[in-house]
Amino acid sequence: MRRARFKWMALGLLVASGCATFPDQATTRQTAEQMLSEDFTAPSPALLKRLAQDRSQQICSKIGSTKLTEEEAAEVVRLSRESIRYPSSGIFAGDWKRGNTLAHDGAGDRIQFGKLEGRKENGGLCQNCHALAPGEINVGNVGPSLTGYGTQRGNSEAIAKYTYEKIYNAWTYFPCSNMPRLGATGHLTPEQITHMVAFLIDPQSPINKK
Amino acid sequence: MKRWYGVATVTIICASAIYPVAAQNNKAGDGLSIGRQMLAEDNPGELWIDRGKKLYYERRGPKSVSLEQCDFGLGAGKLEGASAQLPRHFADTDNVQDLESRLVTCMVQLQGFNREALIKRAISPAGSEGSDVEALALFITSRSNGMKMNLALDHPKMREMYKAGEYLFHRRAGQTDFACVQCHGEANKRIRLQDLVNMTDKKQIQEVVSTWPAYRGAHFVVRTMQWRLYDCFWQMRLPELKYLSDTSIALTTYLHYQGNGAVIKAPGFKR
Ligand code: HEC
Ligand code: HEC
Repeated sequence: MRRARFKWMALGLLVASGCATFPDQATTRQTAEQMLSEDFTAPSPALLKRLAQDRSQQICSKIGSTKLTEEEAAEVVRLSRESIRYPSSGIFAGDWKRGNTLAHDGAGDRIQFGKLEGRKENGGLCQNCHALAPGEINVGNVGPSLTGYGTQRGNSEAIAKYTYEKIYNAWTYFPCSNMPRLGATGHLTPEQITHMVAFLIDPQSPINKK
Repeated sequence: MKRWYGVATVTIICASAIYPVAAQNNKAGDGLSIGRQMLAEDNPGELWIDRGKKLYYERRGPKSVSLEQCDFGLGAGKLEGASAQLPRHFADTDNVQDLESRLVTCMVQLQGFNREALIKRAISPAGSEGSDVEALALFITSRSNGMKMNLALDHPKMREMYKAGEYLFHRRAGQTDFACVQCHGEANKRIRLQDLVNMTDKKQIQEVVSTWPAYRGAHFVVRTMQWRLYDCFWQMRLPELKYLSDTSIALTTYLHYQGNGAVIKAPGFKR
């Protein structure tokens, strides 16, 4: 009995000495964060800060098949809820035509050759990841198809509000999903988001045509 | 006898701690590689190999010497199989270096070129003749064609780099909340019509690590892994990745190790 225990202890030591050569998580984080702090350039110190993570991003950076704990998921949802700012007009659905243009626009805010992309406003990026109007071919599939979104769900106030919140901060309804928190991170303005809500739910929008 | 048993157990436990990606059967991967194979016939990148070869043997730089004295890890002038083991730790610089950073070290130390000037021109403009570094990186890699990627995490700094790369691959940041894994972690995904390689799939990551440097159709030039990583950070709307930075080498170490066993066939052909 004692001998058996001794054997396991010895094995543990062996494992520790053989594998300790892999840095532990905290050391790895420190090493990598140090690299990040030295390895990038930007036109201004403010833009360099884009590399910093907020709390939710830290939680949502799990390695491999490591799962979110329930507490972590709850924290991400809480932070998401707190992040949401509503449009000053109080109206969730704006102009679907502008939303149509924005949803198909994948540009804005990129940094190259020492310059920030000069643009009046950022594109919505939706087309990169979602199928939009029927028959459009040049669309991504990282996210689910949004074709017929309004036809399926209607355009009630509740749907408009859900859609606004979903675009503003997708993690409110799905912590750590692959959809960017486009409003919360400042990529889109509340007003832009209202246009995309209209684009998704308005019966006149091409997304809801056959 | 008993001792061997212990050593074997430790080896198994240690090996499983690295968890290289599991092999999966993936139909999309197959479709993808067939398409790419069709493109790869008649690859204009082949022309860059000859240019790189000429540059390699020519006496160049302020010191007017060739690169034949450069040690890419297997000894001076030994190119066969060298890039299959890169990135690796080099004793003389006491750093983990990838092919391009080693190449620049040699061009500076042996040939006397100015480091800043080399770095500035390393990634060539689209539609240009390409840079010396791009041509040389392709020539040197092509000397390992047909050989298997075979990185070893034998040095502590390699293990440090590998782990940092793994961390960086999963680290989300910026206004798009992207880490690499958001676009390279699932099968059959596309950004618009661009197929995304699932780098958690053994077969697909092997296809990636064995095909760079690659001819990029959209740019009409040969591109390297350093460029590819820079470009993905650009899409992520993060600041600009410095050429040869540790961040780039950590990510390359991680990806290359995951792709161990892949048969090198440079240049690849990319969209
Ligand atoms: C980088 C990828 C990506 C981008 C860009 C993106 N989405 Fe998404 N979207 C997703 C993913 C993945 C999901 C599913 C997970 C989730 O619900 O968060 C999703 C889910 C959604 C949903 C929820 C669908 C449902 O069934 O309730 C809506 C609505 C949506 N996206 C709208 C948009 C709009 C509008 C834009 C542009 C302003 C956009 N998305 C941009 C990836 C993306
Ligand atoms: C927003 C999506 C996105 C993110 C995030 C992203 N990539 Fe990519 N990646 C792409 C696209 C698109 C391509 C090119 C596909 C093509 O050319 O057809 C690509 C290509 C690549 C390739 C070359 C694949 C090949 O065909 O050999 C590598 C390597 C790569 N990415 C690594 C990374 C790493 C490392 C990160 C994180 C630092 C990253 N990517 C983040 C979209 C992304």
